[in-house]
Amino acid sequence: MNSYLALAILMLLAATVFMLPLIPALVELRRKSDALPLSVIQQHAGEIRHFADSFRSYIKELETLLRESLHSRAAVFGTLPDGTDYLVLGCGDEALRLPLKEENGLCPLLIATNSNLRLPSHIKFSKDIYAGGQFVGGAKNQYRAILGEKTVHLSAASRVMRWVHAMGEFEADSDCELHGRISSDRGIRLQKPCSFQRLNAPRIEIGAPASDLPSSVSDHAAALITTRRLLHDGDFSIPPGETFLGNLVVRGKLLIGSGAKVQGSAKGDKGVILEAGVTVDGSLMSANQMQIGSNCNIHGPVIAERQMVIERGTRCGAVDQPTTVSAPWIDVEEGVVVFGTLWARELGQVAAKS
Amino acid sequence: MIYVLYVIISLICIYTARHYWFTLNRLFAFQRHPYIDIDTADWPPVTILVAAHNEEKVVANILVALMAVKYPADKMLVVPVNDRSTDRTREIIDEFVARFPDRIRPFHRTNGKGGKAAALKDAMELVDTEVILIFDADYIPGAGLVRQLTAPFFDPEVGGVMGRVVPMNCGTNLLTRLLDLERSGGYQVDQQARMNLRLVPQHGGTVAGVRLSALREIGGWNDNSLTEDTDLTYRLLLHGWKTVYQNRSECYEEVPETWPVRIKQIMRWAKGHNQAMMTYGLHLLFGKHRACLRERIDGTLLLGVYVMAPITLLGWALALAVFYEGIAPLHGVIALLSITAYATIGNLAAFFEIAAAVRLDGNRHRICLLPFLILGFTVSIFSVSRAAFSQVKDALTGAEFHWDKTERFRKAAS
Repeated sequence: MNSYLALAILMLLAATVFMLPLIPALVELRRKSDALPLSVIQQHAGEIRHFADSFRSYIKELETLLRESLHSRAAVFGTLPDGTDYLVLGCGDEALRLPLKEENGLCPLLIATNSNLRLPSHIKFSKDIYAGGQFVGGAKNQYRAILGEKTVHLSAASRVMRWVHAMGEFEADSDCELHGRISSDRGIRLQKPCSFQRLNAPRIEIGAPASDLPSSVSDHAAALITTRRLLHDGDFSIPPGETFLGNLVVRGKLLIGSGAKVQGSAKGDKGVILEAGVTVDGSLMSANQMQIGSNCNIHGPVIAERQMVIERGTRCGAVDQPTTVSAPWIDVEEGVVVFGTLWARELGQVAAKS
Repeated sequence: MIYVLYVIISLICIYTARHYWFTLNRLFAFQRHPYIDIDTADWPPVTILVAAHNEEKVVANILVALMAVKYPADKMLVVPVNDRSTDRTREIIDEFVARFPDRIRPFHRTNGKGGKAAALKDAMELVDTEVILIFDADYIPGAGLVRQLTAPFFDPEVGGVMGRVVPMNCGTNLLTRLLDLERSGGYQVDQQARMNLRLVPQHGGTVAGVRLSALREIGGWNDNSLTEDTDLTYRLLLHGWKTVYQNRSECYEEVPETWPVRIKQIMRWAKGHNQAMMTYGLHLLFGKHRACLRERIDGTLLLGVYVMAPITLLGWALALAVFYEGIAPLHGVIALLSITAYATIGNLAAFFEIAAAVRLDGNRHRICLLPFLILGFTVSIFSVSRAAFSQVKDALTGAEFHWDKTERFRKAAS
C-alpha cells in the first residue's frame, strides 16, 4: 500500500475516533432536548402547607358536589378527570357502614366530605382524604394524606405516608408512625411511643398537656444581634448557675451546667450537652450530637447535625417566638413543648420519661 | 528541567485526586445541609445589597423578585447600590423606591473608586443589621431564598453564606450550555463536597450573605481586591469565621453569551484569585490563625486553581522539550507519560465531576455535550494564563488593576 494512502487512512481513522463522541454532542446541541434551566422553585418557600394547599385546589371541582351531598346526606361515587375514583359523603359517619375495603385491605378511593368524618379501622387508604368537619380515624389505618378543616385525630397504631394538615388540633395516639409532613394551625399532640419526621404547629406537645408555658420571650428576641463572640479551641464548660453573655463557639465539646444561662447563641463542634434547667436566649447548634436535659428553655433554633435527645419539660421557642428544632435523628421525651417546627430528617421518636 | 516537570506533574496529580475525592464524596457520603430545615424562626432584620453598575436591562427584575420574597416585610430592607451608572439604572431604581418607600432605600454613588467592593464599602453607611445579603443585579431570587440565606446566621460560627447559582439562559448557544455544565460541577459537586468535608466553601459575592460583626472584625470590604468574594472568604477563614454553602438555596443568574465577554469575565476572576493567593497564600498555610489543618490545605489548593492554568501550559512545554531533548530518564518515557496524563487522567477528573453533577441535577441529555467542554477548557486555560502573565507584567510596571463589568444580554424589562 502507498505510504501516503496509509497515512491518510490513519489520519482519517484517528479523526473519526476523535469525532465519535462529538456526534451525540452535536445532535444535542442542534435538538436542544435538554436545554432548559435547572428547575428552581421560585413561587413558594417550601412551606409545610404546600401539599395541603395543592390538594385543596385539586378537589375544588368537587365543591358543588360536597355542598349538595351535605344537604342530601347522600354518598356519591365518581371519577375525576385524571381517572381518580372518589367517594363524596353527605354524612361522614356513613364511612363506618360502607364497604370501603377491598380484599387486600386497601381503599383506593379519594374520600371527601363537608361533615365530620369517622373512618373504620384496619384499612390502607391509598388516596388523599378531605374532611370539612372533625376527622377521627380508626386504629391501625394507613393514610396517604389527610386535609382536615377542623381537628384531626388518629387512633393508635395509625400510619401516615405523606402528609396531614389540620386547621384545628392534630392528635396522634400511641404507636403511630408519622412519615412526611404533619402540620396544624392550632397545635399538635403526640402520645408515646410514636415516630415522626416533620411537625409544624404553633404549639407541639409531647405526651400529657404541659402547664405554665411561657407565653412570650420577646425580651430575648433576636439574640442573633449579640455581637460579642468567644471562640474557643478544645472543650469548654459553663459551670452550673453561671451566666455567659455573648455568642459562644466551641471547637470541641460544649457542656452547660445545670441552671446556667447563655445570653446569646452557643455552638459545639464535637457535641453539646445541656444539663437540667439551662436557658439559652439565642440559638443552640451542634456539628455533632446534642443532649438537652430536663426543663431547659431555648429560644432560638436548635440544630444538631447528628443525634438529638430532648428530655422532659424542655421548651423550645415561645408562642410569639416560634422556632425550629432539627436533627437527622431526634429522641424526645414526654412533657417537651416546641413552638414552631420539630423536624427529624431521618427519624424522630417519642420516648418514655427517663 | 525534568525536576520542574516532576513538580508540575505532582501538582496536577494532587488536583486530580482532589476532583475525584470531591466527586465521590458528593455521590456517596453524608450530605451536610444543617440549616436548610430552619423554616420557622424569629427572623432577624436583614439588609439586601443589590450591586448595580449600568444594569438597566436587569435591575427591575431583581427588585420585583425581592419585593415578592417571603420574609417579614418590616425586617427586610433592600439597598440597590447604584455604582456610577450612566444608563437608566438610577431612574428605574427610583421608580421602585416611589412604589416601596419603606422597603427600598437606594444608594446612588456618582463618583469614587471603581469596582463592586468599593461600591459595597461606601454603601455600608446605610447598613445597621447584623445580617447582610448580597446579590448582583442580574440575579432573580425565589420566594424562599432570603430566609434560606439568613438561616445559617443563627449559627454563631457562621460569618458568610453562599447559595447556588443556576444559569437561566443556558439554552442560548454552545457557550451558555458549557457554562451551565461548569456551574453544575462547581456548585452541585465542588462546593457541596467542601461543605460536607468541612473544608472551605467559597463565598461567591452574590446569592450570598455576610455577618456585619464578622465583616467589621476583618476590616470591612477590601476595595483593592478584584474579586471581593475570594478576598472575603479568606479573611473570614483567617479570623475563625466559617463560610457555609447552601446547595438548595438556588438562584437564577445570566451567564455570558459571547466568548469575548466570557474571556473578560474569567480573566478578571483569575486576576482576583491570584491576587488573593499572593496576599493570603503563605499566611494561610503556615501562619498563626484560627483555621484548622484541613482548611489550611484546602484553602491553599483553592487559591491555586487559577495559577494551575499557566503551570499546566508550562508543563506541556517542558514535557515536549524533555521528550525531544531526550534527557528524561527512560529516554523520554516519563515525559510521554506526562503528556498522556495531562490529556487523560487530569481532564477526566473534571469531566467526571461535571458528569456527576449533571446526573445529580436529574438532567439527562445535556450530558452529551460533555466532549465540547474541551473547547471551554482550552479557552479557559489560555485566557487564565494570559491573565496571569498580564498580572505579572502589571506588577512589574506598577500598573493598577482595572475592574471590568460583565456585559448583560437580557432584554430590558418594560
